[in-house]
Amino acid sequence: MSALHASLLESPILAIALTLAAYLGGMALFERLGRPSWCPAVLIAAVVTAALLWLLDLDYAEYRRNAGWLTLLLGPATVALAVPLYQQRHHIRDLWRTILLCLPLAALLAAFYSVFLVWLLGAPPEIMASLAPKSVTAPIAIGIVEQIGGSLSLMLGGLLITGVLSTIFVALLARLMKITDPRILGFVLGVNGHAIGTIRAFEIGPTAGAFASLGMSLTGVFSALFLPLAWRLLGW
Amino acid sequence: MTLLRGFLWLLGFQLLGQLIVELLSLPISHAMAGLLLLLAWLLVKGRLDESVATASQALIPLLAMLIMPGVVGIFFVIDEFAGHWLAVVVALAVGTGLSVLTTLWLMLRLMPRPDSGPSERDHSA
Repeated sequence: MSALHASLLESPILAIALTLAAYLGGMALFERLGRPSWCPAVLIAAVVTAALLWLLDLDYAEYRRNAGWLTLLLGPATVALAVPLYQQRHHIRDLWRTILLCLPLAALLAAFYSVFLVWLLGAPPEIMASLAPKSVTAPIAIGIVEQIGGSLSLMLGGLLITGVLSTIFVALLARLMKITDPRILGFVLGVNGHAIGTIRAFEIGPTAGAFASLGMSLTGVFSALFLPLAWRLLGW
Repeated sequence: MTLLRGFLWLLGFQLLGQLIVELLSLPISHAMAGLLLLLAWLLVKGRLDESVATASQALIPLLAMLIMPGVVGIFFVIDEFAGHWLAVVVALAVGTGLSVLTTLWLMLRLMPRPDSGPSERDHSA
């Protein structure tokens, strides 16, 4: 029995099947719950996976290593993000002045506020590095923590929380500031709330959605260039 | 076959990215370099290859699934960062609030008025 368990544990096929099953199950549960905006589908799927790992008495590190056969696809899937960015080029051409002024500052501040606060609260450099890419879309953020040396899981947790909080803050502050321009709402959702903000923006409308994907892609590209450089310059 | 050809293009650009990152010891990930190279290539060519479009449409919806094994790890690092969780949550909440506020304000100042074209109704912002 324990030999069987060990053999299954070593098999990448089990890890991949588990991942797909938990993802599909998590998505179904997400639909069943009425697509709650405060709880991203991927988080539900992660809870399902953790429960399955616990039930089957599988080691997380082992699972993670074996699932690596699947998550290898993250590389080409990240490269593929060039396509939607290319398709957005007319928006960039129309609004290049606004984007050039606003995007670097917005992307920088999205990282700075939280890194500064967590530093103020006495957290070690690893946590600062894990929170820095919190507004960057996950595949690009994974590449960033590899460069600046944070914890991948802490980063992804912070990323999900940031995405959810961004949709809440945008709804709240837009009402207070009486902002209804879907271009602004979309862009702000994409810059701060990456994929989660972008999904929310598409619920507002197609224009907001297009500007959110633009803001998300540009924030990702800018942060991937800027954060590792900043970390190198600061000598962290 | 269109999908495979597109997938091969993506892998090719990722490898090219790896080559450049390693040669110049750049502080960016291989895939990010591949993304930038593919973007530059598309902009130079001025049109999107059908195979690349097909492969990207197939892969991008999988991203949420592909990051999931990493997300699961959050339940296993809870002890590792014990004592810092309050700081993390406060920094995320306050930081994100400030960041949304600043970005909204910036965009409000800098965004040109919408053209007189048909604009989209906004219901629930």
